[in-house]
Amino acid sequence: MADIALNERLAAMLSRAGIGDKKAFAELYDATKSKLFSVSLRIVRERHLAEEVLQDSFVSIWNNAAGYATAKSAPMTWMTAIVRNRSLDLVRRPRLELQDEEEFFTLNLEDESLGPQDQLVQARDKSRIEHCMKGLDGEQLQSVSLAFFQGLSHSEVAEHLGRPLGTIKTHIRRGLLRLKGCLES
Amino acid sequence: MKLNNPELISRLASEYVLGTLRGGARRRFVQLMQHDAALREAVATWEAHLTPLADLVEPIAPPRRVWNNIEARIGATAASNRSNAETNQNAAGNAISGGGFWGSLPFWRGLGVVGSTAAAILLAATLRSAPVAVVSPDPMVVAVLEDNGEARLIVEQPKSGYVMVKMVKPWNGPDDHSLELWVIPKDGAPRSIGLVSDSVDTKLIKTDMDVRLTDGTLFAVSKEPKGGSPTGAPTGAVLCKGVIARMPAKTSPPRPGQGQI
Repeated sequence: MADIALNERLAAMLSRAGIGDKKAFAELYDATKSKLFSVSLRIVRERHLAEEVLQDSFVSIWNNAAGYATAKSAPMTWMTAIVRNRSLDLVRRPRLELQDEEEFFTLNLEDESLGPQDQLVQARDKSRIEHCMKGLDGEQLQSVSLAFFQGLSHSEVAEHLGRPLGTIKTHIRRGLLRLKGCLES
Repeated sequence: MKLNNPELISRLASEYVLGTLRGGARRRFVQLMQHDAALREAVATWEAHLTPLADLVEPIAPPRRVWNNIEARIGATAASNRSNAETNQNAAGNAISGGGFWGSLPFWRGLGVVGSTAAAILLAATLRSAPVAVVSPDPMVVAVLEDNGEARLIVEQPKSGYVMVKMVKPWNGPDDHSLELWVIPKDGAPRSIGLVSDSVDTKLIKTDMDVRLTDGTLFAVSKEPKGGSPTGAPTGAVLCKGVIARMPAKTSPPRPGQGQI
């Protein structure tokens, strides 16, 4: 998301959507839908729930696009945060059965073809956070990744890795501190 | 209550953004954030740090229907702008077919299904209405009347004595019948409010309404012979219907950096 040109384009689409430009809003959706759908799907783990999250998120984005200017964050960050928060709100409800990774991918991740917009989003520079993630210890990296990408709670990460809850909490706390140090350096 | 320890603020914000702050703690954190600029700033900082990680996921294209639904919902937004209503999201209504409607009132009233279009319209009306919350002593009554999930009319009662019927989607059928608007109390027979246009807004003066317009009261439009129902009760097919929602609007503007709207 460090891609300045892309973020500028997205910001322009957002501000046009903020004044009711549906065409700009449709472009914004096309440019970001596949990333955001994937982000949600990994957390909520069921296609129909991820579809619901994406719908609700984009209706919110439409209704609040005019207020985006004050958000002070990059457009993709702003939209991703909306999608992630809605996804996390959903899994806060009775925890969905965790499926075996492999089964999960077979069941849920059959893809539809990517347009050029998607590839553009995919190609953007993400080296900084990647670089910092690589600085984490093995279990720190695993714990932080499971929490972030799969939406697992502390105890779910502990269960998944077969480690005590306290250990996982420490991994995550230290992992986040190290990331912060790296990203702010 | 306010958090003062910067380290604690940063730690909570980081776990909120990471997603490991859960359940009651997460809800509480969101509440605190509403009134605490330092928390919002910490969240914004952590969002800027962590959220770009999401870029690492392989994109997966959502099915086309997602966009269709979004479009329908924001289309409803545009329609509701005309209503300028201060309402809540408790709109309800459901789709049924014409003829058997009047005989089956209790059945579908019990369902309490919230029509998604109606809910979207009322939510949008709430979000898009006056930016500040206005608590009116006499809250406006609003109902979105739907046909098979598609909004056709919005009924408003800004104050007692008259009812505004706003056209969302005109019928434009042959002019050999009349459309009649009915109000149906929770436990009673339909009462006529008057005839409505099938293509433009209609204002109906109604000073002798003996039905209390409360939550759950229903509006419906039936197709009647020219001039209205000959019997004083609905005789024809139901063209659209919707349940009343009323409540003073109470919305707060979206908070920057919160990422949850």
